[in-house]
Amino acid sequence: MIRPLEHIIIPIGLIAVGGLLGWSFFLAVTGDTGERLAAVALARVPDSGVSNPVTSVLLNFRAYDTLLEFAVLLAALLGIWSLGAADTGFQPAASVLDGMVAGFVPLLILSAGYMLWVGAYAPGGAFQAGALLGSAGVMLALAGHRNAGLPSEGRLRILVALGVFVCAMTGLLLMVAGDGFLTYPPGLAKWLILLIETAATLAIGATLAAAYLGGRPTAHPTSGETT
Amino acid sequence: MMIDALPLAVTLPLIGAFAVTVSPLHARGLGLMAAVLTAASALSVTAAVWSDGVLRADLGGWGVPLGIALEADGLSAAFLAMANVVALAVSVYAGGYFKQESARHFWPLWLLLWSALNGLFLAADLFNLYVTLELLGISAAALGALTGTREAVAANLRYLLVGLLGSMSYLLGVALIYAAYGVLDIGLVAEAIEPGPVAWTAMTLMIGGLILKAALFPMHFWLPPAHANAPAPVSAALSALVVKAAFYLALRLWLDVFAPVLNEAAANLLGILGAAAVVWGSWRALRAERLKLLAAYSTVAQMGYLFIAFPLLAATPPGLARDNLLAAVVLLALTHGFAKAGFFLAAGMVQKTAGHDRIDDLGGAAQALPAATFAIGLAGVALIGLPPSGTFLAKWVMLEQAMILGLWWWLIVMMVGTLLAAAYIFRVLSRAFNREPTPYRFVNDARTELPALLLGLIATFGLGIAAQPLWVLLEQGAFG
Repeated sequence: MIRPLEHIIIPIGLIAVGGLLGWSFFLAVTGDTGERLAAVALARVPDSGVSNPVTSVLLNFRAYDTLLEFAVLLAALLGIWSLGAADTGFQPAASVLDGMVAGFVPLLILSAGYMLWVGAYAPGGAFQAGALLGSAGVMLALAGHRNAGLPSEGRLRILVALGVFVCAMTGLLLMVAGDGFLTYPPGLAKWLILLIETAATLAIGATLAAAYLGGRPTAHPTSGETT
Repeated sequence: MMIDALPLAVTLPLIGAFAVTVSPLHARGLGLMAAVLTAASALSVTAAVWSDGVLRADLGGWGVPLGIALEADGLSAAFLAMANVVALAVSVYAGGYFKQESARHFWPLWLLLWSALNGLFLAADLFNLYVTLELLGISAAALGALTGTREAVAANLRYLLVGLLGSMSYLLGVALIYAAYGVLDIGLVAEAIEPGPVAWTAMTLMIGGLILKAALFPMHFWLPPAHANAPAPVSAALSALVVKAAFYLALRLWLDVFAPVLNEAAANLLGILGAAAVVWGSWRALRAERLKLLAAYSTVAQMGYLFIAFPLLAATPPGLARDNLLAAVVLLALTHGFAKAGFFLAAGMVQKTAGHDRIDDLGGAAQALPAATFAIGLAGVALIGLPPSGTFLAKWVMLEQAMILGLWWWLIVMMVGTLLAAAYIFRVLSRAFNREPTPYRFVNDARTELPALLLGLIATFGLGIAAQPLWVLLEQGAFG
């Protein structure tokens, strides 16, 4: 049986909206415009302290956006925590999974460190490195480690808010020093970006793993800290 | 050494959020300290705009188009000042309202929300505005669910999803603008934009996303349950500030970005939706059984008045009349911010004392709390639009302009809305004067009642009698 609303009107409406959006997008990209931002950005990459254009946009040209994105991650995790404590978690894994996890987790941590470092001149950076750290936490949680290998609540709270703090403090201190908010002095740019990215990697990794647990860390001492 | 107050107003609450996240045991003290510092930095921005004109800060030192700029003109400074005074009052109230466990969750999310608000009012970059909208939406939904009841969590999950849909729609519009013109700074986009299908689609997507967040009829369905079930200080912030931020952004885009591509049909559509919101929201407020639900539906109606201004603005040629109209709309938004926050804070006090907020059974409880009831009365004066409130002045200017333009139908809608508002406010107040002997004390809990009272006083007397400074402030870059 054909229901006119669900089978005809809504699909046709959606197709029409999609067509309209596609048409305007086509007009937008084929239209005649002046200098595009990407060209300007690429030309200034050598001044940014890093040679990977993505990192120079995220951590230098538009570092303020990234600061607020760290805050978004923190807000999401605090929202999860406000809803209640985490479940007790999964059962401890049998020897095969446990052995695999014991092998993979150190590799993931190592790869995260590499991703963080390589982000200065090749694809990589804090978000990718943090995702690897987070996946290490998810693996530990799946294998039955309580709290996904995360530290006790006191330290975890520092860890998840570290990205916001380091980025905001760097910005403020640079402003007090006279350079302007998040305006890196030439020469120091590379190191300040690395500092912020290191803090952000830890924060993103801890946030993703803690978000996977789905609730506030439990009060008991962690059993999953040793791997 | 140079201190730029613009980034400070966004970063101080972030640092505060870090501090209260890390030491939850001292959340209240640290949170209040961060609240005072944030409000001070934001009010200093407004003072600087007042005395020196438009302020601008190029973050990262790159300048546009490459970097992001913050900018404060009269319009942002006015909203910034209102938001920070209300947020400070909400913070003082929250210091007494939230105890141990809930305080740990409230303060970090609240400071993140505050940072997003200040960031939104100061942003001059379309993508940066999207990030502030995301931060605002996520922290607002999390705060709204803090009571932990099933209704609150369900309502705020819906609020979160609706908010995400709104942000996505906004982002799609930004992507379209970036694809077509290659810039994101509001000033540069305004220079580049040309009438055509691309600009119209982008405008529809962006304004459409924002009216979803501003709860304009018929997209208001998420607001009443979300605002009525949140803890009182959060309801105050959600109703007074968060929906107002979406309206501010819609107005900002309307005036600064899409000015060359506007047509009257779009303005009339917004106005018609606003008119429907006024009538429907006021009617539902009149029929509401609970005090906080009444306040939430009243927000739907009050947002409607703000959108009636769009067709009036579109029909008025540039000049003194249009400037006055714009200032009246801003005055209406600011007065509603103060009044609704005061109303919710006082309602929360009544609810806490009585153990419920069913309007028909409130008699004794309201009478035992003279200060809270007086605050509800003052806020009510401003919500109805009686003199000397700011709403009276604002509605007067809007009515006068509608008459001059010959658009009498808006006049009827505003009259009906005002009558209904009087009915629902007096319905609450009449319950406060029917029982019990005279109470012993006027103020029973200074910490929670005084902020509410203060906000009510600002809405009724401060903005009504002393509205002149707003006109002076808006001359800084907002008129034209």
